[in-house]
Amino acid sequence: MNKAIALALFVLCGEAIGQAQVPGRYFPLDHRQVPGVASRWNALTRPGAFGQPQPVQIHLPEKGTVSFYHGSPQRVVETQAPSQVGLFVGYTYRIKLSGLESHPGVELYPTLEVIDRLHPPEGLAERFPIPVEITAEELEAALQDRMITKVIYLEQPDVARPVESTGFLPVEELSPRENLMAAADHRGRPVAIFRLGGRIPDPQAPADEFYSQSPIQFSTATVPAE
Amino acid sequence: MRIYFLALGTLLIVCVGCAHDGQQLVNHHGEYHAPPAEMLAHPGPMVGGPGPGVMLASANGGMVQPGMMPPGMMPPGMGCPPGPGMGMMPPMQAPAQSTQVRFLGPEGMQIGWQIGEGFADAQITAPGRYNFHQGATYRLKLARVPGREGLTLYPSLHIYPVQAQTAAYLEHNTLPIRITDEDLDQVETNNFVTKVIYLPDAKYQELAIAGVEELVSTRLGPGLDPVAEADRRGTIMAVVRIGNLDYEMPTQLGGGLSQQVGPDGELMQASHVVQVSGEQGQYVPPMPIGMSHGGSNIPGDMMMSGPSYPGQPPYNPVMNVAGGPTYGYPITGTPIGLPGPPHLPLGRPAGLKKHTVRNTTDYNVGKPVDQVLIDVRHEPGISMPEPVKYIQYTESHPSYGQGEVSMPAWAAGQPAQ
Repeated sequence: MNKAIALALFVLCGEAIGQAQVPGRYFPLDHRQVPGVASRWNALTRPGAFGQPQPVQIHLPEKGTVSFYHGSPQRVVETQAPSQVGLFVGYTYRIKLSGLESHPGVELYPTLEVIDRLHPPEGLAERFPIPVEITAEELEAALQDRMITKVIYLEQPDVARPVESTGFLPVEELSPRENLMAAADHRGRPVAIFRLGGRIPDPQAPADEFYSQSPIQFSTATVPAE
Repeated sequence: MRIYFLALGTLLIVCVGCAHDGQQLVNHHGEYHAPPAEMLAHPGPMVGGPGPGVMLASANGGMVQPGMMPPGMMPPGMGCPPGPGMGMMPPMQAPAQSTQVRFLGPEGMQIGWQIGEGFADAQITAPGRYNFHQGATYRLKLARVPGREGLTLYPSLHIYPVQAQTAAYLEHNTLPIRITDEDLDQVETNNFVTKVIYLPDAKYQELAIAGVEELVSTRLGPGLDPVAEADRRGTIMAVVRIGNLDYEMPTQLGGGLSQQVGPDGELMQASHVVQVSGEQGQYVPPMPIGMSHGGSNIPGDMMMSGPSYPGQPPYNPVMNVAGGPTYGYPITGTPIGLPGPPHLPLGRPAGLKKHTVRNTTDYNVGKPVDQVLIDVRHEPGISMPEPVKYIQYTESHPSYGQGEVSMPAWAAGQPAQ
């Protein structure tokens, strides 16, 4: 299943693959919308999906720490990358990336919006998390106050690329003019949106709205930070 | 012949009248229109706020209700995870209410801001960042600009409220502001510089990775308004206006903020003038400068809540007072006492015909006074212009008919993969 997950980041090919998404038509969802809208739509459309646990694994290009805020800014749980935790469908999470070897002292605060879940075999959910791979180029772009948005989707088996996965998730870079949600829906089923920028929390307001209060589930796959 | 045309006209009117069923007033193609998607994505059917039967739907996802959650793998003391399909509405991350501004340069420049009657000097040093509350205008103080000895500028910084288009960006990114040598040259030669920082619409995005863009008045052609131009290209997030007016002249009549002599020549107490300096470890948050509308009853050209006096709620241009609801967000009385729709009303009467609350409590209190008379009088009497009694506000939304909308696959009833 890992091989079947792809990252969509830009450039839309014009093939009419999707069954519901048709190029040229208005698509109501957009990756530029307020964080939480897409997951909310999915939960409203399919109420049974909301609140379902979904393991997510976050990869960094180097050794680093991935911190999660569990319920409040004061309840920080630091984990070692690659970090795997259980998130919940319908929620948006603020994450902290720090301890990067090539960027000492740098902290980044991306968010992850969990739109939908995967359907692994019973009892194997921990083996098939949603992978979120952050590259060195994306870290550099965020440090230059650029915004990176990645829509992670589960590709349709009948339109999957007939190539063997090399261990890295295939990434497509699309023009910023494109609608990533439409492109991901065109290729498969979007499951998460990852947004990364250069904003940091206000040190004078440690409990501001910057942090998420979404619940998190930890398991044996979660590796605490050293 | 005259009778013939009269009969023909009558027949035409009758035919048109029969075909008019009222839908033509709002519907030209047999379509149905609803508010925009982001407004529809509220818990109630076309109604914002938590509706009846909705439990603990907080704005930021903190909707865990202990006791209703199934036991999870949470470490002790870490709370409980939510359960699936519990009938609760999905959470919505609260949009950022502050904008993080990053002053990029010139490096070493000190940035202060107005705090009531005085200024807080050197609160941050470029490059540095600060979170400003949105929907307000601040007076900055730029000092110790490298290479410009003795130059102190007092630009205004207008932070716009978050919009649906800018929410994701503002939650993840800073707003870069750089005062360039060209800007300083323009200001020193008595020119007025306006810098507009905006997020371009998708069709105007040029760089490979999305980011903000900046329009400067001095780089535009004569007669072009940078604010209007930026508004055409995208969504404005901040406007910086720089001139060379000195706001701290000690003898300025009717102006100077930290003056020791009042507008009538009287001496002011030294303690009245706040002196704060970041170099001495003193830090005070900025206070929005006074009403941008000059205190008149005439609303500004921009229909948004503006800044008010320090510590006061934003000024409301419709109610002409501070603290009122923001325009476009009517508070409607509902049977459960919750705010009404955050979008325009649907233009039809409410379905509720009767709402009765009966208080059956026993009580023994004094009889209420049925008449109270208090005579008050102003000398001289009050004479003011007529208040605003009519505002026309029209929202235009794109509409898509059958065959023009493409829904997400998972919303179209297709089986999950």
